[in-house]
Amino acid sequence: MSSQKESTARTLLVALVVCLVCSVFVAGAAVALKPIQIDNRQLDKQRSILAIAGLGEAGLSGKQVKALFAERIRMRVVDLQSGRFTDAQDAATFDPLKAAKDPQLSDALPGEQDIASIKRRERFSTVYLVETDGKLDTLILPVRGYGLWSTLHGFLAVKGDLNTVAGFGFYQHAETPGLGGEVDNPKWKALWPGKTLFDEQGAPAVQIIKGTVDPQSPQASHQVDGLAGATLTSKGVHNLLQFWLGRSGFGPFIANLRAGEA
Amino acid sequence: MAQPTIKEVLLNPIVHNNPIGLQILGVCSALAVTSNLKTALVMAIALTLVTGCSNLFISMVRHQIPSSIRMIVQMVIIASLVIVVDQILRAYAFSLAKQLSVFVGLIITNCIVMGRAEAFAMANPPVLSFFDGIGNGLGYSAMLIILGVIRELFGAGKLLGFEIIPVVNDGGWYVPNGLLLLPPSAFFLIGLIIWGLRSWKTEQAEAPSYKMAPQVQNKEAY
Amino acid sequence: MGMRDFLDRIEHNFAAGGRYEKWYALYEAVDTFFYRPASVTKTTAHVRDGIDLKRMMITVWLCTFPAMFFGMWNVGHQANLIFAQSPELLAAQQGWRFSLIGALAGFDPASLWDCLVQGAAWFLPIYLVTFVVGGFWEVLFASVRRHEVNEGFFVTSVLFALILPPSIPLWQVALGISFGVVLGKEVFGGTGKNFLNPALVGRAFLFFAYPAQISGDGVWTAVDSYVGATSLSLGAAGGVEAIAGQGITWMDAFLGFEHGSIGETSALAILIGGAVLLLTKIAAWRIVAGVMLGMIATSALFNAIGSDSNPLFAMPWYWHLVVGGFAFGMIFMATDPVSAAMTHTGKWLFGALIGLMVVLIRVVNPAFPEGMMLAILFANLFAPLIDHFVVQANIKRRLARNV
Repeated sequence: MSSQKESTARTLLVALVVCLVCSVFVAGAAVALKPIQIDNRQLDKQRSILAIAGLGEAGLSGKQVKALFAERIRMRVVDLQSGRFTDAQDAATFDPLKAAKDPQLSDALPGEQDIASIKRRERFSTVYLVETDGKLDTLILPVRGYGLWSTLHGFLAVKGDLNTVAGFGFYQHAETPGLGGEVDNPKWKALWPGKTLFDEQGAPAVQIIKGTVDPQSPQASHQVDGLAGATLTSKGVHNLLQFWLGRSGFGPFIANLRAGEA
Repeated sequence: MAQPTIKEVLLNPIVHNNPIGLQILGVCSALAVTSNLKTALVMAIALTLVTGCSNLFISMVRHQIPSSIRMIVQMVIIASLVIVVDQILRAYAFSLAKQLSVFVGLIITNCIVMGRAEAFAMANPPVLSFFDGIGNGLGYSAMLIILGVIRELFGAGKLLGFEIIPVVNDGGWYVPNGLLLLPPSAFFLIGLIIWGLRSWKTEQAEAPSYKMAPQVQNKEAY
Repeated sequence: MGMRDFLDRIEHNFAAGGRYEKWYALYEAVDTFFYRPASVTKTTAHVRDGIDLKRMMITVWLCTFPAMFFGMWNVGHQANLIFAQSPELLAAQQGWRFSLIGALAGFDPASLWDCLVQGAAWFLPIYLVTFVVGGFWEVLFASVRRHEVNEGFFVTSVLFALILPPSIPLWQVALGISFGVVLGKEVFGGTGKNFLNPALVGRAFLFFAYPAQISGDGVWTAVDSYVGATSLSLGAAGGVEAIAGQGITWMDAFLGFEHGSIGETSALAILIGGAVLLLTKIAAWRIVAGVMLGMIATSALFNAIGSDSNPLFAMPWYWHLVVGGFAFGMIFMATDPVSAAMTHTGKWLFGALIGLMVVLIRVVNPAFPEGMMLAILFANLFAPLIDHFVVQANIKRRLARNV
C-alpha cells in the first residue's frame, strides 16, 4: 500500500484534490461574507464621524448608525486645489486615502510644505456636512499626519461659523500607550470643543502648547494643552492641524465656503 | 503505546503540558494580542477552533497523504481554515478584527497548530485528534487569558473595557503601568509564569546543560 | 578579637543543621563584612590579591559618595533657589518632608546646611527604600538558594538611587529595584551570572512603565508642580544655545548646578570618584577610554554632518560629557565587571559601542531624550558576543603562529 501511496501520480492527485477542496472552501467563505465586511468597514467610519459630530450615543446598533448617518450627514467631494465642491468623483465610493497613493489623483509634497509628514496629498477629499434646514451646522474634515511612531488618522468637526471646533479625535494611530496614546483620552478630547481655529486674517492659529493654557492669555481660545510627556505626538497633532487648515489642505475650501462660493 | 483517552488529550495541555509554558510555542502572538483581555479571548477562541478543526481534517485524510508532501498538505488545510476564520471575524466582529490585524492571519504560522498536526493528528484517529487540538488550544487560551487579565488590569485599570481600578488620569488613585501595554511585558510575564510553573511541577524543569564546578571550599588557609 | 570570638561562637547556630540555618546568608554577610572569608580556592586558577569582591564593591560604594553628597546638596540648592524666587511655591508645598526640613533647617539657597537637609530629605528615603526592598529580595534568594549575600547589592542599590529623579514616588522606587534585582539578576542565578546591569534594568523598567514620573520636564526638581528641564532636554529642543539661554554655562553643567537625576548632575564629583576607581584598578580604564573615544568620534561625526532641524547634531563632545547621565554611566555603570566585556580588546569595543550608541540615541532618536541607560543595556547584551569573537580571534592568531 505504501508504495502505491507514494507514487508520483498519486501525490499529484492528492495535491490537486486538497487544493481544489480548500480553494472552493476559502473562496466560498470570502464571497459569501464580502458584503457584510464592506458594510462593516463603512459602518465603522460612519460611527466615528457621528461620534466626532456629537450626533447619537455610543451604544447605537448598526442599523441605527446607518439610518442616522443617512439622515443627518451629507458627503461631498472637494477639490483641494480650487477649494470647491466637485462632482468629478462619486462621494459614496471615493476613498481619499487610496487616492493619496495613486499618482493620478495625488501630488507629492515638497519637504517644506509637508509639515504633517504625509508625503503625498490627494487632489480630492471627502468632507461630511451636517445641515439643518439647508444651513450648515457642522463640517467634518478628515485629517491625518505623523506623530511619533505612526500616522494619526482622525476627523475634525467645525461648527457652522467655520471657526469653532465642535469635536476632534483620532480613529487610528499607534502612539505610545499612556503618553502619545492619550490623544484618545476623553479628558483631552474635551479640551477641544469651543476652541477657534483661525485668526482675523483667516490663517490657521490653533496651536498645541507645552504645559497648560493660561486662560488670561489673549491666545487662549486658540490654544490647547499639550500631552504631558508626549512632546512629539503633540507636535505632530499641531502640525497636522496647521497643514490641513492651511493652504495645502482645506484652507482654500473653508475660505470659499465662508464666502459662500464653494 | 496505549492510546490516550479523550480526557487526557483535552486536559493535559492546560497545566501539565502547556504549549506556551512547557513547549514554548506560539509565543509571538501571545506577546502581540494580550494587551487587553478582549483581543486575547478572541485570539484564544480562534486558535482553539483552528487547531481543533485542522487536527480533525488532517487526521481524517492522514492515510491518503503521501509523506513527501505531507507538510504542504497540512499547511494548505491550516491556511484555509485560518483565512475562513479571518473572514468571519471581519464580517461579524469588525472592530476586534481591526485590533487583531495581521495576527489572525499569522495563526497559520503558529507552531502550536502545525506541531499538533504533525505530532498528533498524523498518527491518531479523527475524534481523538480533534480533542487534542481543542486541548492544546485551551492550554494556549489559559496562558493568553492570564496575560490578558494581568496586562489590561494593571496596565489600564480595566477588564474587557470596564473600569476596575480607577486610574489617575481619570481622577482615580491608580497609576497604570505603561510597560504592561507594550509587548515586551508579556515576555517578562510568560517568563515569570514558566518560573512559577516549573517551581511547582519540578519535573517540567530541564536539566541544566552546564554546571560550574565549585571554586572555593570552606577551609581556613594555612 | 572580641568580635571574631563572638562570631565564631555563634557560627554553629547558622551552620547546616543549626537553629538559624535559614539565616546563614545574613550571618555570612556580617562575618565577611568585617573579616576576610574563610574559604580558599580549590580550582587551579588562583589569584593572590589583598582585594576580594567584597572589598571591591565597598570601594565602589565609597566612590559614589562625592556624587551622592553633591547630588543631595544640589537637589536642595535647586529647590531652594526656586523657593527664593517664588515664595508662593514654598507656601504651596505640603507633606512630611517639608515639616521635617522646616524643623531642622531653613530654605536658604546660600546655606550649605539648608540645602543638604533639603536634598537628604529627598534622597535618603529613596535610598532607604531601595536598600530595604532590594535587600529583602537579595537575602530571600540567598537564603532559598543557600548562596552568600553579595555586596554587589551595596553598589546596585546606591547606583539605582542616584540615577532617579528626586521627585519620584517611593512606591515606584520599590517596584523598580524589585524588578532590577529579581529579573535583572536573580533569575539568571544571582551576582556574576547577570548579563545586564541590575540598577539600569530597574531604571529602564520605571522608564517604560511610568514614563510620566521619570521623563519630561516636570520631575527633575524636588519642587512639586515646577517645570524645570534638564540641560539635555534643553539641548534637544534648541542646542547648546538653549542651554545657555537658561543661564547654564558649560562650567555649571560640569560642576553640576543644573536639574537632573540626583547623582548625575555633577561630572566633577563623578570624575573624582572615578579617579579613585581607575587608580585602584577597580574600574577598567579601557572601558572608560572606549566610551569617551566612541562618544567623541560619533559626536564629531554628527558635528561634521550638521542638520538644520535637529540642534543636537551640533552639540560638541564636551557638552555631551557634562549633560544627562553620560559621566555617571561611563564611570559607574559601563565598568560593572559582571555585565561588561571581560577581554582587553573586548573592553575597548564594548566601551566604543556605548559611546556610539549614546550619541546616536540622543541625537537621532526622537523618543528617548537620554541615551546612556539604553546604550549601556544595549552594549551589555553584546558583551558576551564581543568577548567570544575576541577569544576566537586570539585562538586563531595563536594557531597561525604555531603552525
